[in-house]
This record gives sequence, C-alpha cells and structure tokens, in this order.
Amino acid sequence: MTMEQVLFYLMAGIAVGSALYVAATKNLVRSVFMFFVTLMAVAGLFVPCMADFVAITQVVIYVGGILVLIIFAFMLSGRETLANLQQQSKFISISKVPAFLLAGLFFIVLLNIILKGNVNGLVWTEKAVLTSNVITAKDTTIDNIGVNLMGNYLLPFEAISILLMMALVGAAHLSRKERGV
Amino acid sequence: MITLTDFLVVSAALFCTGLFIILSKRNAIQILIGIELMLNAANLNLVAFGRYDKINNGGQIFVLFSITLAAATTAVALAIILNVYKRYKTIDPNKIDELKD
Amino acid sequence: MENLLQQIDTLTIKFALVAVLLPLLAAVVNACLPGRTNKVAGWISTLAILGSCILSFFVFSKVWNQHVVHQKVLWFAIADTKLYAGILLNNLSALMLLLVSLVSLPVHIYSTAYMKGDTHYKRYFTYLSFFCFSMLALVVSDNLVLFYIFWELVGFSSYLLIGFWYTKPKAVLANKKAFIMNRIGDIGLLSAVIILYALFHTFDIAQLFGDNMSGSALANQMPVGVQRIACIGLFLAVAAKSAQFPLHTWLPDAMEGPTSISALIHAATMVAAGVFLLGRFYPIFTPAELTVLAVIGCFTAFMAASIALTQNDLKRILAYSTISQLGFMVMAMGIGAYASSLFHLATHAFFKCLLFLVAGIVIHEMQHIKDQNKLDIDPQNILYMGGLRKKMPLTFIACVIAGLALVGLPFTSGYLSKDSILIQSFEWAEGKGWLYELIPIGALLTSWLTAFYVIRLIAKVFLGDFRLIEFDPNIKLHISDGNWQYRVPLILLALCCLFPVFSYNPLLYEKAWLFNGFSAITGLDRVNIYHTIIPALVNILSLIIMYWSWAIYTKRKALPFPETGLLFKFSYHEWYIDTLYERFIIKPVMSFSVLARWIDRNIIDGFIHLLANIGIAASKVAEWFDRYIIDGVLHLLASIVLAIGNFARRFQNGRVQYYLFSMLAIILAIFIIKTLF
Repeated sequence: MTMEQVLFYLMAGIAVGSALYVAATKNLVRSVFMFFVTLMAVAGLFVPCMADFVAITQVVIYVGGILVLIIFAFMLSGRETLANLQQQSKFISISKVPAFLLAGLFFIVLLNIILKGNVNGLVWTEKAVLTSNVITAKDTTIDNIGVNLMGNYLLPFEAISILLMMALVGAAHLSRKERGV
Repeated sequence: MITLTDFLVVSAALFCTGLFIILSKRNAIQILIGIELMLNAANLNLVAFGRYDKINNGGQIFVLFSITLAAATTAVALAIILNVYKRYKTIDPNKIDELKD
Repeated sequence: MENLLQQIDTLTIKFALVAVLLPLLAAVVNACLPGRTNKVAGWISTLAILGSCILSFFVFSKVWNQHVVHQKVLWFAIADTKLYAGILLNNLSALMLLLVSLVSLPVHIYSTAYMKGDTHYKRYFTYLSFFCFSMLALVVSDNLVLFYIFWELVGFSSYLLIGFWYTKPKAVLANKKAFIMNRIGDIGLLSAVIILYALFHTFDIAQLFGDNMSGSALANQMPVGVQRIACIGLFLAVAAKSAQFPLHTWLPDAMEGPTSISALIHAATMVAAGVFLLGRFYPIFTPAELTVLAVIGCFTAFMAASIALTQNDLKRILAYSTISQLGFMVMAMGIGAYASSLFHLATHAFFKCLLFLVAGIVIHEMQHIKDQNKLDIDPQNILYMGGLRKKMPLTFIACVIAGLALVGLPFTSGYLSKDSILIQSFEWAEGKGWLYELIPIGALLTSWLTAFYVIRLIAKVFLGDFRLIEFDPNIKLHISDGNWQYRVPLILLALCCLFPVFSYNPLLYEKAWLFNGFSAITGLDRVNIYHTIIPALVNILSLIIMYWSWAIYTKRKALPFPETGLLFKFSYHEWYIDTLYERFIIKPVMSFSVLARWIDRNIIDGFIHLLANIGIAASKVAEWFDRYIIDGVLHLLASIVLAIGNFARRFQNGRVQYYLFSMLAIILAIFIIKTLF
C-alpha cells in the first residue's frame, strides 16, 4: 500500500464521512461547517487525478465563495431566521425512510453499473495510455488549461462569464429590500 | 495504484449522500448543500476521467465551468430562499406548495 | 193557395215553439231572480203559461182535424246518420199541448196563493216552469231522441218537485223512490227507441208511425223477438210513468210534494205521459200484447180502486184514484179504444186536477187549524175532517162536480169518456170467451168502487159535522174558500169537468168532438145493446152505491165489512205491494249489494291491492336495483375516477421534493429493470 493509496482512502473516507454527517446532523450551522470539510476532502481527492489547479479552484471558490455566501446569507438575515432554520426533525423519522431507501438503492445501482462497466478497461483510456495522452504527475497542467480555456473553450468560457454576471445581477435584484409597494 | 473505479465509487457514495440530503431535509439551505454535494460528486468523476485527456484537458476545464455555475446557482438560490422566507415565513419546500403569488 | 197554407203552417210551428219555450224562459228568468221568496217569480211563470195557453189554443185550432203540421231542421249528423229536431203537430200532440197548458194555467194561479210564504217560493216556480217546458216539449217533439230527452226531463223535474221540501225525510225517500221506479221505465223506453232505430234507421215519429196514429201495423214489420222486447220496454216505460201495476208504488209516495204539484204533475199531466206514449207508439203493439196491456190496466184500475176504499190520507186516496183511472186509460188502449183512452186522458186531467186542488185547499185550511190550535194531527187525514161544506161552499161544489165526473155520472165529462171505455170494452170482449169478459167486468167493478170511495171521501171531508170539535170543542174554525187565486182555478176547472166542453150531447160519447178527432174507424152506430144498457146499468148501480156509501159515512151506519177483516187490511195496506217489494226486491237487492260491496271490498279491492302491493314490491326491487346496482356501478365508476384523480392529485401537491423523489424512483425502477432483465 503506497502513500498515494493511503492518502486517497483517507480523503475518500473524510469526504464520505463528513458528507454523511452533513446528512445526519440536525444542526444547520454544524452541517454547513461539516460541508466545508467535505469540500476540502473532495479538493484533496482531485489531486490524485492530477488536477491540482481544479483542486485549488475548488478550495477558493467553494470554500471561499459559496460556503461563505451561505453562511453570510443566514447570518445576515437575523436571529429569527436562524432560529427557525435550525428547527429540525428527529434524526431518524419515518419520513426519511423512503429517502434513505431510494438513496441506498441508487447507490447499489450505481455500484452495479460501475462494476459492470469495466471502467478500468475502457477502450479510449487505453488508447490514451498508448498515445501517452495521460497526465502524469510530472506534468504541469495549468498552462495547458489556460491555453485551452482561451482557445478551444473560448465560447463556453464567455457564455459562462455572461451567465455569471446575469446570476450576479439577478441575485442582487432578488435580495434587495422591497420598497413598500 | 488508484483506479478509476475507486474514484467512481467514492463519487457514487457522495452523490447518493447528496441525494439523500435533498430528499430528506426540510430545509432549503440544506437542500442546497445537498445539490452542491452532488455537483462535487459529478466534478470528481469529470476530474477522474479528465486525466486521460492531456491535450484538450476537457474534464478539468468543465469542472471549472461547473464550479463557476455552482457559485452562480448558489447565489441566486440563496436570494430566492431569502425572498421565500420573507413571504412565507418558512423555508420548508414542502410547505411552499402554491404557485400563485 | 199552397203558399198560403205553407205560411200558416210556419206560423203554427212558430206559435207552438214559442208556447213550448215560454215556460223555459220563465224558468231561466226565475232562476236568475234575486231572493228566495221573490213574488215576481210566480207572476212570471203564470204569465208564461198564460202565453203558452193562448198560443196552444191557436195551434190547436189550426191543427185539430186538419192537416198534420210537421217541420224539422237538421240537428246534427254523425256520418250518414242525420238527426233532425222538429215539431210534429197532429191531433194528439195538439190536444196534449192544449191540455197541458190549460191545466197548468189554473195550477199556476193556484200555486201563487198556495205556495205563498214558502221559503223557496222562487225555486218552486222555477221548477214548475221547467216542468211545463219539458212536458210541452215532450208532446210536440217529433223524434224519439228528443222524446226521450224530454221524457227524462219530465221525470227529473217531477223528482225535483216531489222532493221540493227536501228537509222532510219522507219527501226525500219519496223522490228517491219515484226516481228509481222511473229509471226502470226509462231503460225500457231507451231500449225500445234503440230497437226502433236499429230496425228502421230513423228516429222520426211521423215516419215510424204514420201521421195520425191510426194503426199502421208497424208490429208486422218487425221480427217477433225484437218486437216483443221493444214492447216490454215500452210497457215498462208506461208502467213507470203512468204508475201501472208493478211500478205504481211511487205515485202515492210522491204525494209528499206540494199539493199543487200533485195536481199538475202526478194527476193531470206527467202521469198521462205514459198513456200519451202508448198513443204515440200505438202501432208497434200486436193484438196479443194489447190484450196483456188491457189485463194489466184493468188489474191496476181494480187494485188501486180497492186500495182507495180504505185509505185515510186525503192525497193518497186521490193518488190511488189516479192510478185507477190511469189503469182505465191503459186498458182502453189495450182493447183498442184508442180514442176513448185519449178522451179519458183529457177529461181525467181536468177533474183529477180539480180534486187535487180541492184537496190542497182543504189541507191548507186544516194546516191552518192545526197551527192555530196547536193540535197534533195530520192535516191530510180525512178522519179529522167533516162538515167543511158550510165553511167552504165553493170548494165543496167543485169537489162534488169533480167527484161526480170521476164516478162518471151523466152531464159530466167523465161520463162521456168512461162510458165510452166501458162500452168498447164490452164490445171488444164479446165473442172472445169468458176469460176476456173479465176485463169489462173488472172495469165495471172498478167504476162502482170508484163511486164508493168518492162518496166516502166527500162524506168524510165535507159532510156531517166537523170531527175535531168532537175531540176538542174549543176549536175555532177560521177557514174559508180562500181568495180569488183559489177560487178562479176551481171555477175554471169545474167548468171543464162538465159535458158541454166536450160534447153537445150529454149522454152520447160518440158525439164528442174529441172522441171523433181520433177515431177514424169508429163508425159504429148504436146498433149494439151495450150502448144503452151499460151506461144505464153503470149509472143506476153507481147511484145506489153512492147512496149506500153516503148512508154509511154520514149516518154512521155500520160498515158492511169489519175494519179488522182480511179484505180491509189487504186494502188498507195497499195490497201489501210495498211490503212485498220491501221483502222480495229491496231486501235481496240490499243484501246483494252488501255482498257485492263485500266482494268489491275484499276480492276486487283485494286483488287490486294485491296488484298494487306487487307493483310496490316490484318497484321497491327496481328501486333497490336502481339504487344499489345501477347507481352503484355509477358510484363505483365515479369513486374509481375520484380515487384515480385523488391518486393523481397526490403527485401534483406542489412539493418539489416529492416530485424529485418520484422522478428518481422511476429512474431507479428503470435502472433496476434494465439491470435485471
């Protein structure tokens, strides 16, 4: 068992465990912070995939942006909101059983597909290995990403930027204080 | 050696957890968290497969896009949730079942 | 000439029509008058009948012994059957027209006084005028349908007038009895009319029987059985209307009506309608049937006369006397003395009407005495009367004249007509065997009995002393003949009872104009011995009997037969005919009707109820079926749809998580299915 594997299983364990805790906990604030852990762990999982830039982005945007935004959202909206939001039903309740069953069955189905799909022996991955189109640990991916982003994927990039702006404007509009109409 | 299967299994576990959160929680913010979790699971898959595309780097770039979109989604969703709360004094999606304003 | 005649005929018809319609007009006007005791009613009716009387005179003068006047208009048509309504004026109808209006006039005048003070004065005259209209219309109508209609109307108005004092139970019973008895006759007449129509396809009397009723033997043209039925029907009609033997019992009871009504309807006119009917339908009878008719008439005459011997009720005596005289008429018809019968009808109308009016006055005065002295007597009972001749001389004289006419003494009209019947009956019976001889002998006996009871009546009422004084000497007698409204009718009718009105020769009926008007075939001179012997015999014996009777009742000699004797009782109880009817007809009918009612109630109704119950049960089953099966299916469908709707609605509950759950569940299901299969 190599170091790499140890780290992977560690990260995977943290990610799944924290995610389960998020799902299980009654406390909203706690679940948000636990989600933070999950996101970090997922960012950690990105690294063995030779996606260090994506991992950084994950940390920056998710942790630095989205989570802060979530926390801000209900921190800013006052204590009553928070108190209301924290009302949670019991840990195990009848209403959760179908959801749990569904999720479990889904997991089984997914597992089944993954195992049957013979992911490790895919034709195109093997071709990529043969043509050494595989990112190795020694490669730097950042410049390649930059070139591709400004080259191959310029159109989606621009579209995303416009979308982002629209979302920004929309969010600002939605969250503004209503004038007494 | 960490195989693709491993990633996919982890990803599936995360996805199903997110799914469970979405289905079971009575709180819009937690549901939002569940959605993010599922997105992350998807991202993990993309990244895992993106390893075998060195030239185009499609997987990683789409993960970037996805993260950006998630940020935008979250911003808009939070704004909506706050507005909903203002109007209905609750953010339980089960109790907000009227289409009219 | 022809034209002129035509015009006169038209005028005659018009006069006859007006004469008939005037009383109807009076009845209608009276009905519309305000007030129950409106005095105007009496005068309107009297004026109307006076008009009718004058017009009848004219009509009579135009028609009598001249040509027949007959006019008709189309009344209605049913397919090919055309029904005409018209007026037929021949000797018979013209005579009847005159007779009816002439008798009605004094009765009307009399009634204005007699009914004075009655609480239903107006109604009385309305009915009376209506009766006059019906009777006049009956005699002039030219077809059987109209004849039947007016026959019914006459019976109906008689019914109304018998029950005029409808608060008296006896009157109600009497009019019911009269109505039912008449109904039997009406059925007979109706069946005869129907048979005649079925055979000859016409209702026209003139066509059916010829114009002058002189024996065109219609009977020979009819099938025997049918003819017999028709004759039985006709006989029933006659018997009911003219109170002949089996159906006579209603007439004595009908005396419950006002006396003036008894005088007009139940003595002079309506009961004569039966004889008139015989006159109209005469050609339909065969000789054998005529003989039966004669036997029945004779029997009735004898029976009624014998009953009249012992009755104590003034009006009942007269009623039985009427029956007896009607029996004479029917008998006369039966023996072929057509003319004599009608002759007797005319004379009888006058003297019997007069007798009733006299009775009315007497009863009225007795009622007066009774009310004044607060006595508890029957004002109609002749045993309480007597000696009234001193108080009411005019009434007495009128009564004597009428009584003598009834007996048939010479110089009265009754002598002429009665003797003609007797003589012809002997002629008829001659040479036919001793059984046939019984009829004239019976008639003879009857006329002697008549003499007896007439004198009994006069003696009890007018002669001797007033008997109430014997009971109570303090009684004051403030009675008299009454005012002119009583006197004038009496005088008028008394004059009509004398011979000059009918014949210049007081002894020979053959000279009577009325008799000659009908007897086309009677060419017999006084060749036969009967023509002299019988009148003499009858009258001498009658005189003897009258003297005897007078002696018995005024001098208080012993009765020739004890009052407890069988014959007396038999006569007093009216031959027990009513009792017999009561026992053998009414009781069985009653018990039969009880039985019928029971059957109706329990079996027929039971059956109907059973049907009804079955129906109800069936409908209940149907209802159950409807409710639970048909509706159930519908409800089931509806609830299935509802359940589906509710089921589907649950997916549309607006819960986002639920939508998502469903979606994922389906995806999962697809996956699982894909995976497994």
